[in-house]
Amino acid sequence: MNSIARLWLGFTALMIGFLSVQAAEQKWEKSVVTVEVTYKDFDFFQPWTTPTRSIRKHGLVVGEREILTTAQHLPTETLIRLQKGGRGKWYSGKVTWLDPQADLALITSEDATFWEGLKPAELAEVVPSAPDFTLIRWRDGNFESRRVEFSKFSVKDGALSYAPRLTLELNTELTGLGWAEPVLLDGKVAGLTTSKSGNTCNVVPAPFIRGVLEAQRAGKYRGLGYFDFTWQPGENPTTLKFLKLEGPERGAVVIKVPKRPGVEPVLKARDILLEVDGFPVDVEGDYLDPDYGHLLLENLSSRGKFAGDTVVLKVWRDGKEVTVNYVLPQAKYDDELVPREVFDHPPEYVVAGGLVFQQLEQPFLRGWGEDWRRRAPFRLQHYQNDQPTPERPSLVMLSSVLPDPVNVGYQDVRMLIVDQINGRKIATLADVVAALKEPKDGVQRIQFMKGDTLQTILLDAATLDEATQRVLKRYGLPAEKRLGKS
Amino acid sequence: MFSKTLVVALACLAAFAVNASSPERSVVQILTFSQAPLFDAPWRFETVRRAGGSGFVIKGRRIMTNAHVVAWAKQILVRRYQDPRPYQARVAYVGHDCDLAILEVEDPTFFDGLEPLDFGELPAVRSTVVTCGYPAGGEQISFTRGVVSRIEIQNYVHSGNRSLLAVQTDAAINPGNSGGPVLQDDKVVGVAFQGVPGLENAGFFIPPEVIRHFLKDVDDGKYHGFPEAGINLVPLQNPAYRRYLGLGDEGVGARIDGFRAGSPAEKVLKKDDVLMEADGMPVGSDGTVLYRDNRVSAATVFQTPQSGESVKLKVWRDKQPIEVELPVLVFEGDRLAGNQHDTPPRYFLYGGLVFTPLSADYLRTLGRERADSSSSSMYYELYYRRGEDPEKLRTEPVVLATTLAHPVNANLRVRGRALVDKINGVRINSLDDVPGALEKNTDGQHVIEFLGQGGFETLDREAAAAATQQVLQTYGISSDRRL
Repeated sequence: MNSIARLWLGFTALMIGFLSVQAAEQKWEKSVVTVEVTYKDFDFFQPWTTPTRSIRKHGLVVGEREILTTAQHLPTETLIRLQKGGRGKWYSGKVTWLDPQADLALITSEDATFWEGLKPAELAEVVPSAPDFTLIRWRDGNFESRRVEFSKFSVKDGALSYAPRLTLELNTELTGLGWAEPVLLDGKVAGLTTSKSGNTCNVVPAPFIRGVLEAQRAGKYRGLGYFDFTWQPGENPTTLKFLKLEGPERGAVVIKVPKRPGVEPVLKARDILLEVDGFPVDVEGDYLDPDYGHLLLENLSSRGKFAGDTVVLKVWRDGKEVTVNYVLPQAKYDDELVPREVFDHPPEYVVAGGLVFQQLEQPFLRGWGEDWRRRAPFRLQHYQNDQPTPERPSLVMLSSVLPDPVNVGYQDVRMLIVDQINGRKIATLADVVAALKEPKDGVQRIQFMKGDTLQTILLDAATLDEATQRVLKRYGLPAEKRLGKS
Repeated sequence: MFSKTLVVALACLAAFAVNASSPERSVVQILTFSQAPLFDAPWRFETVRRAGGSGFVIKGRRIMTNAHVVAWAKQILVRRYQDPRPYQARVAYVGHDCDLAILEVEDPTFFDGLEPLDFGELPAVRSTVVTCGYPAGGEQISFTRGVVSRIEIQNYVHSGNRSLLAVQTDAAINPGNSGGPVLQDDKVVGVAFQGVPGLENAGFFIPPEVIRHFLKDVDDGKYHGFPEAGINLVPLQNPAYRRYLGLGDEGVGARIDGFRAGSPAEKVLKKDDVLMEADGMPVGSDGTVLYRDNRVSAATVFQTPQSGESVKLKVWRDKQPIEVELPVLVFEGDRLAGNQHDTPPRYFLYGGLVFTPLSADYLRTLGRERADSSSSSMYYELYYRRGEDPEKLRTEPVVLATTLAHPVNANLRVRGRALVDKINGVRINSLDDVPGALEKNTDGQHVIEFLGQGGFETLDREAAAAATQQVLQTYGISSDRRL
């Protein structure tokens, strides 16, 4: 073959490659849309205000008039707009379903013209490990397709949840990721990006999404479950010997089993977890997943299972094997003493005589910025390590004081957890409202949690309402309280 | 023109007055070679550090300086004014809470020809003072003049968790000035001791009241420290609260909001008692007293007596005035929450596991990280447990500081930075509990339980006991314990 012929053949091959890439991109362009979300980004230091922000993320057409995206920023959305083709007209959208715990949401548009030319994409049933994946996204009006490197499969908490799930980790230097960009492998969608930290881009994998969507479409989705017990690896052979384990070294050691109201725990501290749903657990607390290799046993709380489902646990207890049925509890924000997210309502507050009461929630602590774990008041943060009790399922704090003649002497009081008001134990803002209706001896008595900080303050009961109205007017507050979804 | 001349003349006269009596001859330079321990490896010490400070001769052929100048000292050298010879000195008394120390010099001829400096009274705000010492930046004695800016209770950073009366001045107080006298009319009205980073033209000195308390304290040959009331005194300025307690708006009386558990005050006073007068001084509604023309925290009154003495109080209780006497005592229960000095940390080493008391110094070795559950538990235990949950308080919480690698402990996952709850079922209240809990165990394994997430580790008993000597030898540690 002469050199001209070789050149021609090479050029032809290049053209075929180019055309096939173009065809592939054209196909995906019809499945990926831009989602603009305007949402309430509450200022927890001034909970009566409702500032809004807008972001743009990606959506994937997955069914008849159905767009899949991540749940982030959607729980408090005020406006959703959709755009196809990366440019041009915006169409109104609305959320048809979302679950922050799963970090998934479905959006639709009632405008029939929006759907013209769009095609559903297929979610992969299994995502095998491969050297490279392809990440696609709209960027400045152009469709971008970039190769990203596979790192590993892992089990992590969700972006908005403490319920662990399978996560595909990709390694890339691309910036601006984590906005639900689809990731492709072998012509199918392998997942959606959820966040990026350093060069690690986290992807919620398609099999997890499929499982949730199928259950949701069948009306059987009960939310994500999780293992509420704490365990430690059984790597120390002396520990396994101490627990009188017979046979080869294996299993993870249960160290803490929380008490949940109305639930009889099936596990005990110092049980050795030998098998979960038939999967043997090794001394590192991993099991061998047939699709994804060695994974943390926590994945078995979401591998095809949801809250309320039963997981069969084989444990070593008191010198013998015992099989127990563990019912997966639902991951719920209000199960924590200090909820890490609050999505179903705007931040609650009660203002009384200038004293601002709020529930202690992690979004409030995050108000100290990215470095909040170091900057937010330590004592408030430390409550995150405590468990709720039937008497105190949540905490109320006096977060700040809006200065007024009625609260002279207390202007600098802040960040204190309320124990009682007028003798009534306080766990919710509803308790605060009720307690303030029962002043004694002409004063409102507010007592804080025992400690080295201020313990008691009194306010004049007779003039409190009048003072509250004065404070509302002077500081421009819309109302003296906001409770629940009001 | 006339006034300018007068000012210059006055300045010259003032300078002459200082020179005429030559108090600088009694100001000494102190060179300290110190070695502080590593609190996360308590058998080890940092490299030897050299630091300079100042001091001055007081009655009894002794030298007064700051405690922080001589803390962790291995060798102390003192030099006289314009005399090149170094003299060996040693600490006779040290008060780490008030940052003062008294040194003795081994060669008594050191004091020949040196006049002890006398102490004056608390200088007035706006009056002029001169600091005198050997600050960094040169070898010769240095003088700086400034005015007294304010007088109030300040945190003494050397102890970290004690606040005493202090005087702020705009006279430069730099490293090396520490321990030097602050002079007014040739008398010592303070000992220079600290600055505040980021605060310009603000240095602090220890006032005569604190110095005299320290000197009186050591009269019996032992230093005890500054006492405290053991009460949480809070302002009483809200009109409703004052009315509720039967008080008007006179601006007098601060409220007792709580007590330190176990303090004598719990027996003498009650919550919602209003402190109207302390040692004859009216207490303002903001919790201050007028102390020598300065409004300072009423805590000053309780720091004036020696430990074990009492303060007479006028208290408003149940809408009636009463008089009580409150004994005040030195409180040492929070010693570990402050900075430690001169006594190396206790530890116990067993099977490569190193146990040591939880302390502020130990926590500092963790860096700024306090977010994880384990570190958070330690912070809570050290700083909050006493006030919030005294029933569960441990006298000396113990941490597993580190694990020195050895086959016997190679499989442990928790290898340090963990707060110990129990060892072999024995609750660990102090490091003294650790040896017994391990050595009295007759089971096959030792079980060490941790606070925080509630994890535990085990060690083979026989192998661990045998490993201790090997670990000591391998890592060059002279003893398995400092208790």
